[in-house]
Amino acid sequence: MTETLTGSQILCRALLDQGVDVLFGYPGGAIMPFYHALPEYPGLRHVLVRHEQAAAHAADGYARASGRAGVCVATSGPGATNLVTGLATANMDNTPVVAITGQVARAMMGRDAFQETDIIGITQPITKHNRLVEDVEELEDAVAEAFYVAQEGRPGPVLIDIPKDVQNQKAEWKGGQSVSRSAGHLESTARPPDRPSGLENAARLIAEAERPLIMAGHGVLLSGAYAELRALSERTGIPVITTLLGISGFPESHPLHLGMPGMHGEVHVNRAIQQADLIIGLGLRFDDRVTGNLAGFARGAKVIHVDLDPSEIGKNVPVEIGLVGDVRAVLCSLLDLLVQRHCDPWREEIAGFVRPRQDNFRGGLSPEAILDAIDGATSGRCSIVSDVGQHQMWVAKLFRYQRPNSHITSGGLGTMGFAVPAAMGVALARPDEPVWAISGDGGFQMNMQEMATMVQEGIPVKMAIFNNGYLGMVRQWQQFFHGKRYSATPIWSPDYVRLAEAYGIAGWRVESADQAESVVREATVQPGPALVEFVIEQEANVYPMIPPGGSLSEPIEGEPAPPLVPA
Amino acid sequence: MTVARAVSVLLEDRWITLNRAVGLIRRRNLPVHSLAVGPTATPGLSRLTIMIHSDTATADRAVQHLQKVVGVRAAVAFPAGEGVVRELALVKVRAPHERYGELLDVVQLYNASVVDDSADAMIVELSGSEAFVLSCIRALERFGVVEVARSGTIALGSGNDIQSGTLP
Repeated sequence: MTETLTGSQILCRALLDQGVDVLFGYPGGAIMPFYHALPEYPGLRHVLVRHEQAAAHAADGYARASGRAGVCVATSGPGATNLVTGLATANMDNTPVVAITGQVARAMMGRDAFQETDIIGITQPITKHNRLVEDVEELEDAVAEAFYVAQEGRPGPVLIDIPKDVQNQKAEWKGGQSVSRSAGHLESTARPPDRPSGLENAARLIAEAERPLIMAGHGVLLSGAYAELRALSERTGIPVITTLLGISGFPESHPLHLGMPGMHGEVHVNRAIQQADLIIGLGLRFDDRVTGNLAGFARGAKVIHVDLDPSEIGKNVPVEIGLVGDVRAVLCSLLDLLVQRHCDPWREEIAGFVRPRQDNFRGGLSPEAILDAIDGATSGRCSIVSDVGQHQMWVAKLFRYQRPNSHITSGGLGTMGFAVPAAMGVALARPDEPVWAISGDGGFQMNMQEMATMVQEGIPVKMAIFNNGYLGMVRQWQQFFHGKRYSATPIWSPDYVRLAEAYGIAGWRVESADQAESVVREATVQPGPALVEFVIEQEANVYPMIPPGGSLSEPIEGEPAPPLVPA
Repeated sequence: MTVARAVSVLLEDRWITLNRAVGLIRRRNLPVHSLAVGPTATPGLSRLTIMIHSDTATADRAVQHLQKVVGVRAAVAFPAGEGVVRELALVKVRAPHERYGELLDVVQLYNASVVDDSADAMIVELSGSEAFVLSCIRALERFGVVEVARSGTIALGSGNDIQSGTLP
């Protein structure tokens, strides 16, 4: 028996078929038929955000935390364009997000209708794929294709744009019978596994290397290669470096864990890279923030690069052996070829590179103290979602991540304002553990309107604000490279405790280290959302720092001498 | 070594797919020299030929990026100097009466043909490799070239090498 449904009903059913249980969205004219149908499908929980950007970030956070596509919904025109930053964020970090936008009715398209915008054209370079649904007959297929493309291979965001009249058009429900032609095509062109010789050569290089390193990126998390990475490292004794998005891919307490590389990587990590004779890159793209000046990057090292996307191999760094494939699958094959070895002399050498940290923070309220408090108060059982800037680097380097995929941040695009809305998605995907959204005072104010969403929807995100009264990372660059001209970086904040109160949530201000853990503990057990402002040293810097354009061998480890003033 | 290389792309003949493929070329900042698009023997498929001036690695990466575009069915970079690579040009050239014979000699030398002939100008049609076309246009410049339209380069692999044979 066939069933005739409206486009909107088909959309809802197709979403349920894909296992969707939550949508982040905001209604408007061109998406109203969908919102009209939505209450008929109670399996689809809708979270009304306060700005569509937050819907995209929340869907992104949900996807990163759950490993399944996150979904956001917006109307045409401004609703759709507000998704753009969130989609670009998901695109750079390879997160499966499906965005659904309403579009003006087909008869109005191309006529500059009210709230019309070419969102297909706008999002083309920042999505993995996008599609205008031109007829209701395509709709079921388009949804299946969107979820398939978003999640297969190297994940990414997909947008489907649905004209208002298509949402109202009627068609038969095919019941998931349709198979997308394009999607089928993608599967058929999946790369054959690499020839065994690549693996054998890689195994030989690994056996022969004297100063090898593993650099683990986001691909380790995306493929769930935690056990395989650990087995690789333990079998060979090779130390593991985790990139910003590779953090929590390898336990930080492990004796073979070295730390984060790159612009704000610790000196011993970057020196190890510069001294290495072999780098095993797992699911990373050798981003410029990781490599510094390419000409001076790891000049003595041969590189084995494992990546799912063949276009990444050799894109930035010359590669000795490229192994195309899912990190986990490649490591499974590689492990069979590896014999037990150790790298003790090399590890001792690296240990000699370690420099003590020597930061001085007002009231002892250092980033370590704050992160120790969160670690202590949650016994390490929490998800950390960070924003972008100085605090992001501290959160990346100083929290002791033990559990897989417990660190979530906007790496590639570096989107300020990410943490608060993304944490909503993380919290819904992980209802059983505390989720801490850590932001600076700048990033927090970019999306703090989402506190209202948390209250209305009962999403218990715990928000920490590192308040130093500056856009700290930009101020740091101004201090180092622009003669301390603090142009447009001092930033006023509201009274966050009273702001929390205005939203009806608990809020605290912490000004010294001794208060930190008890407040974090209280905030964590508080039902619902909570906010803690940490008033930190105003002009603290993130050290070390590789100056932009510099090589990993040239770290700035303390405040640079002021530039000579011409006489 | 940086030389002109043809990248041949088979894609669904929809505006959005072409838009996507061309957008990718712009976004990846590829050194594109010419683009040509047209139908193929397979209904529903177009061929986009991109001439890029690059080394092998850049051309190969262009192919890898293009293969990721949904709607692109196949992409291949011809090694420099391989495949049959042609373009068509229409050249409007001044044809003063007193130099008419001299002009026709040049047209004949390049195996070109006159496709439009009016009082003081003619349109010459010629085809060949890019170097050949440029050489012919240079020869015609002596008479005064008024306007040039070039098709952009198209290419096919030689011998039994059938790109569309790889399609599902």
